[in-house]
Amino acid sequence: MVHTTMEGSLFEPTLYIVKGMCILDNDGNRILAKYYDKDIMPTAKEQKAFEKNLFNKTHRANAEIIMLEGLTCVYKSNVDLFFYVMGSSHENELILQSVLNTLYESVSILLRRNVERRVLLDNLDAVMLAFDEICDGGVILDTDPTSIVGRAALRTEDVPLGEQTVAQILQNIMNM
Amino acid sequence: MSFKRDKKEEEDSGGNPYQNLDKTIILQEARYFNQSPVNPRKCSLILTKILYLLNQGEQKFTTQEATEAFFATTKLFQSKDVMLRRMVYLCIKELSTLAQDVIIVTSSLTKDMTGKEDLYRAAAIRALCSITDSTMLQAIERYMKQAIVDKNSAVSSAALVSALHLSSTAPDLVRRWANEAQEAISSENAMVSYHALGVVAGSRRNDKLSTVKLVTRLARAPLKSPYALCLLIRLAAQLVEDDDSDAAQPYIEFIECCLRHKSEMVIYEAAHAIVNLRKTARDLAPAVSVLQLFCGSSKASLRLAGARTLARLTAKHPTAVAACAVDLENLISDPNRSVATLAVTTLLATGAESSVDR
Repeated sequence: MVHTTMEGSLFEPTLYIVKGMCILDNDGNRILAKYYDKDIMPTAKEQKAFEKNLFNKTHRANAEIIMLEGLTCVYKSNVDLFFYVMGSSHENELILQSVLNTLYESVSILLRRNVERRVLLDNLDAVMLAFDEICDGGVILDTDPTSIVGRAALRTEDVPLGEQTVAQILQNIMNM
Repeated sequence: MSFKRDKKEEEDSGGNPYQNLDKTIILQEARYFNQSPVNPRKCSLILTKILYLLNQGEQKFTTQEATEAFFATTKLFQSKDVMLRRMVYLCIKELSTLAQDVIIVTSSLTKDMTGKEDLYRAAAIRALCSITDSTMLQAIERYMKQAIVDKNSAVSSAALVSALHLSSTAPDLVRRWANEAQEAISSENAMVSYHALGVVAGSRRNDKLSTVKLVTRLARAPLKSPYALCLLIRLAAQLVEDDDSDAAQPYIEFIECCLRHKSEMVIYEAAHAIVNLRKTARDLAPAVSVLQLFCGSSKASLRLAGARTLARLTAKHPTAVAACAVDLENLISDPNRSVATLAVTTLLATGAESSVDR
């Protein structure tokens, strides 16, 4: 992936658009993160430092988009979760925005609209699968939340009552 | 502050199963995979923990540990639980770069990729291609070609994107799949058509003539998929840049036509291309007025896109940007810092005296 940062140059005709996606909690700690470009932040240490910086710059201002360390990052937060999608600073922002919308909407459907840390941790496997359905190695794979969720949430709801937690039972009753 | 800490402690004890995970304990838990029959829920949780640890990246897995975890995971192929199977694929992908002898799952994955269970197929293709090297590719080539033109759009997309990844290591082999990919460009599914165009354009990257053919054909009967259109605009723009004669006129017309598309993504893509291609301020007018509209949008990413592309234009056509001075002035106090900064620098560069006074 060679990127020219020349002023006034055209967008590169490539499918490798997403540089990274992550979900952080309200202390800026990583819940899930994927970086797709080997040339950008190859080590976990660099990534976490970047995430801290990103979080510090974004958790108070809900400004949707920020240019940071040569990347364009679009973001969205809810209760105690922060969702980020990153792309090259030389990329169509609206495409990145559409990926973020897909990520957020898919997770929101998976968590039955309770987009918060604890509910997410209870469904972490499904969220991991959704993550994987949205972006493959930096290529946008799917942007339709319904079809993503259809392929990520396949938990057969046939747990015997005895094995369910009280919270789960309550949740099932709420959802009836 | 103390209240916050109490709340945190309460939260941490309140069932975050991923707090303080330890690598060695998880690897021991993975031995549970050998038990039969498989308990999907319990195994899925253990896999999630492994993936979580890998994702945090703080406790490095040694080759031996990764291999051990990988082989334990392969035992789970005996379960038919869809969710668990999908988690297994995910683990295979994540561990494939760390563990040894990962190709032992080739036959299991090939079986899933060609099997009847639609929910397995797409994900199996992606997992398989992540562990396959160019020598093994030959064996699955036939299945890949079939998958590219599969009726199921998820399967087709998975095969195309995998082909794209593989084209960096085995370009010649993947080029042989170009016919199937070509066919998939006209797919009804927006993503399939986008991925197919990406694969075909990628395989013709060094062949200008066939790129010209491709773009010419598609520009006449534009694609429905906004993502594919964005890519097509980029390809067309590149051709214009390489050859600025009258031959490029149809491409310019196609791009200008995209300014009237219903998707903002495509409109912006077209405006950005025109601003970077056209030489005279008069030709720029339609694109500039679109960007001007973006600057007044309620969405921050649109405002940033508009302001950023206008900022780029200042170097070439300060006069064209000067026409948008009022719109940019409104952005100086924008709640988004990146937008405000861009607006200020752009205004300073165009430097109309009237605005400096204000």
